[in-house]
Amino acid sequence: MFHLELGKYRNIVLSIALFIFFDLAVLVLNFVISSQISNDALMINLAGRQRMLSQRITKTALQVEYRIRDGKPFGNELTEFKKASTVFDQTLTAFSQGGRTTSGTGDEVNLAAIEDPTAQGILREARDIWTPLITAAKSLTDNADIMQASQLARLMEAANLQLLKLMNDLTTRVEQIASDKATMLRTVQVTGITLATINFIIILFHFIGHLRRSDRELEHAHKETADILRTTQEGLFLLDPELKIGSQHSTALNSILGVATLAGADFIDILRARVDQKTLKTAREYLDLLLKHDVKEKLVTSVNPLNRVEMLLDQGPGKPETRFLQFAFNRVKEKGKITHLLVTVSDITRRVLLEQELKATEDRARGQLGMLMEIIQIDPFALHQFLRAAADGLQNINGLLRDQSEPVTGRSGLLRDQSEPVTGRSSLVNALFRQAHRIKGDAAALGMSSLADAFHQLEDLLSELREQPSLSGEDFLPVTVQVKGLFEQIETIENAVIRISQVRGVATVEAPRPQHDPNTAKLPFVQRWRDFANQIATRHGNTVEISYKGIDVATLPEGLSSAVNTIINQFIRNAIVHGIESSDARKALGKPEAGRLSIYISQNDDGSVELSFRDDGRGISVQRIRDTAIAKGRLTAEEATAWDNRRIVGLIFEPGISSHAAVDADAGRGAGLDAVAELVVRFGGNVRIGTTPNEYCHFRVHLAPRAIVEGPAAT
Amino acid sequence: MKKLLIVDDSNIIRSKIARCLGKYGLEIAGMASNGQEALAQFKATRCDLVTMDLTMPHMDGIECIRALREIDAHVRILVVSALADKATAILALKEGAQGFLCKPFTESDLTEAIGELISDDDND
Repeated sequence: MFHLELGKYRNIVLSIALFIFFDLAVLVLNFVISSQISNDALMINLAGRQRMLSQRITKTALQVEYRIRDGKPFGNELTEFKKASTVFDQTLTAFSQGGRTTSGTGDEVNLAAIEDPTAQGILREARDIWTPLITAAKSLTDNADIMQASQLARLMEAANLQLLKLMNDLTTRVEQIASDKATMLRTVQVTGITLATINFIIILFHFIGHLRRSDRELEHAHKETADILRTTQEGLFLLDPELKIGSQHSTALNSILGVATLAGADFIDILRARVDQKTLKTAREYLDLLLKHDVKEKLVTSVNPLNRVEMLLDQGPGKPETRFLQFAFNRVKEKGKITHLLVTVSDITRRVLLEQELKATEDRARGQLGMLMEIIQIDPFALHQFLRAAADGLQNINGLLRDQSEPVTGRSGLLRDQSEPVTGRSSLVNALFRQAHRIKGDAAALGMSSLADAFHQLEDLLSELREQPSLSGEDFLPVTVQVKGLFEQIETIENAVIRISQVRGVATVEAPRPQHDPNTAKLPFVQRWRDFANQIATRHGNTVEISYKGIDVATLPEGLSSAVNTIINQFIRNAIVHGIESSDARKALGKPEAGRLSIYISQNDDGSVELSFRDDGRGISVQRIRDTAIAKGRLTAEEATAWDNRRIVGLIFEPGISSHAAVDADAGRGAGLDAVAELVVRFGGNVRIGTTPNEYCHFRVHLAPRAIVEGPAAT
Repeated sequence: MKKLLIVDDSNIIRSKIARCLGKYGLEIAGMASNGQEALAQFKATRCDLVTMDLTMPHMDGIECIRALREIDAHVRILVVSALADKATAILALKEGAQGFLCKPFTESDLTEAIGELISDDDND
């Protein structure tokens, strides 16, 4: 475990341990060798004393001999002889075997036996010489005769120089041993210190290098972190449990929050100035939940009240701006304990606005589709009337709003601040309400529910204003905005009506196809149409074929069958004269030589009749009709330019307008289709035209049952 | 088989949860339309799991969670509520609910949420 905990410091600890080991080894060796040298100093001293004692023993032995020979009493010669002999013997024994002896100062000292073989050799030699001497010396007493004394003196004289030499050798040898040890001590000290120094240098270089590497890595990491924090588009920071912002945060955070100094700032204080009280309270609860409660991260994320928060931010002096921010919180844990929250802040204003715009577009599209469905159900004339009335009504409302505002500001008086007495403005509100209510009623009656709803909202706004005790111009702002929206809605409907009309104008609108019955093609009225068509075609140098499917026209009420017959005859004439090309021209266009006239007639359950007439000729020339209308004075050049194609085509039903240049028996006088129009008007029906240049012209006529009951006369 | 108590003031929601979690293999031990009923049924049945609406008459979900936890600290509670009010949701989690499911939810949302609740319980 200790090994693991050393971690990156393992090497330095081992190196220091080695350093200490070297130092301790040197210290121990130093102590041991110093102790030995100290012992050796004693030995040198005692060895030197042995030299001196060998001389003293000889000298005192001679003095004892003289005293006895001269018959003089002993002084202290004999005592001194004995003492010197004893000390010499003790010391010699202590040198060779170890043991106690007396030091120069008279103290008892303990000597270890000399281990050196050379010194032991000297000691053995000395012992050999000394043993007979000490034996003789011990026998010398106060009553010794001259013989004994002389014998001892001779022995001493004989051994004196040898003993002196041996003790001198011993001293030299002991000095040599001490000197060797001193040398060894120096060697140990130098080696130890050298090793320790080398170790120290290694440590120094190793760790300087390591420190440099660490510094570089640290600097690199620091730079990377700084780069990330500087370049990230999001706000990044740490929150401590006290909800204080950490010292390191991304640069973007300042601009996102609009705060210059954030390190150490209180996060709640920052929120307090930028969100409403409810959000602030919820945010506090949420942070508390994150920090102090063991709730799963995924779960806690789902209730983040700052996931999308609208904030009023200071984007410069005096420039508060509403932004949408997203705060994401992640717990930072250490050993299972939450130490911080990592907070990521993103400015999602653009995304939110796009989402809002998309939603508004979707709502609008949904509303427009609904509106479109409503429009196509409404009688075109009634719709037209309503749209005009609604536009006029809105103009009135706008006028009222403008009138009440102008005297104050001359421009947008709705923004004026001072309140006016309720009476003036309340009557205005009532007037506005009446207008709105009327249009709403009309819209509802026509089944235009989405438009009725929009006017209802305007009513709601006005109702709120009615409830207010006093009104300022600013209170009318929402009304103005709503009115503007209604104008746009009316305009949208008008545009839609035009688009629908255009679609109706160009699309082939087939009548409900009756069951094919080959017998109907042989009916007498069909045959009459064929004869009629062939006559006209012959006069105009082309050929036609008529195909018919549908009911037996003869079975219709008389007035209606007559009207149908007249209309078909007019269409046949019109098609052959204006539509069907010459045989050559048709061949050149890749069409069958004979022009085809297709007629379908069906009757609905309510008794109304659907009539479809289609030729595959050149279609209607809008430009020719336009030119004719100008030439006949029906339209001015400006009107002719302003009118759309559909409206121009409609002119063919007016008397005096024809797309055919020449006047002949069949066409060109501008009469014919106007008769069709007259019949349709009488029957309260309608006509739709579809045409494509060089391909076809298609009339679809609806004759309504109301007129059938009335039974108007056919032309 | 784990026992479930369904607490919601909407009959439709109760039925939906019961149908879905019955199929999931839980024993529907009780259904309550407010907090007081929930407490009474919980005392009688000692369920392992509770789905809890927050906005209810008589005793709201938060109070009920608190009371249930006092009776049985180990009961697993899944709050099933509209997330319009995040403050209430936070409060519910603080009071000891272990899961949160936002209305409206699909059957798979519900089984996933209850599955997590049960697996957390098994891991504890």
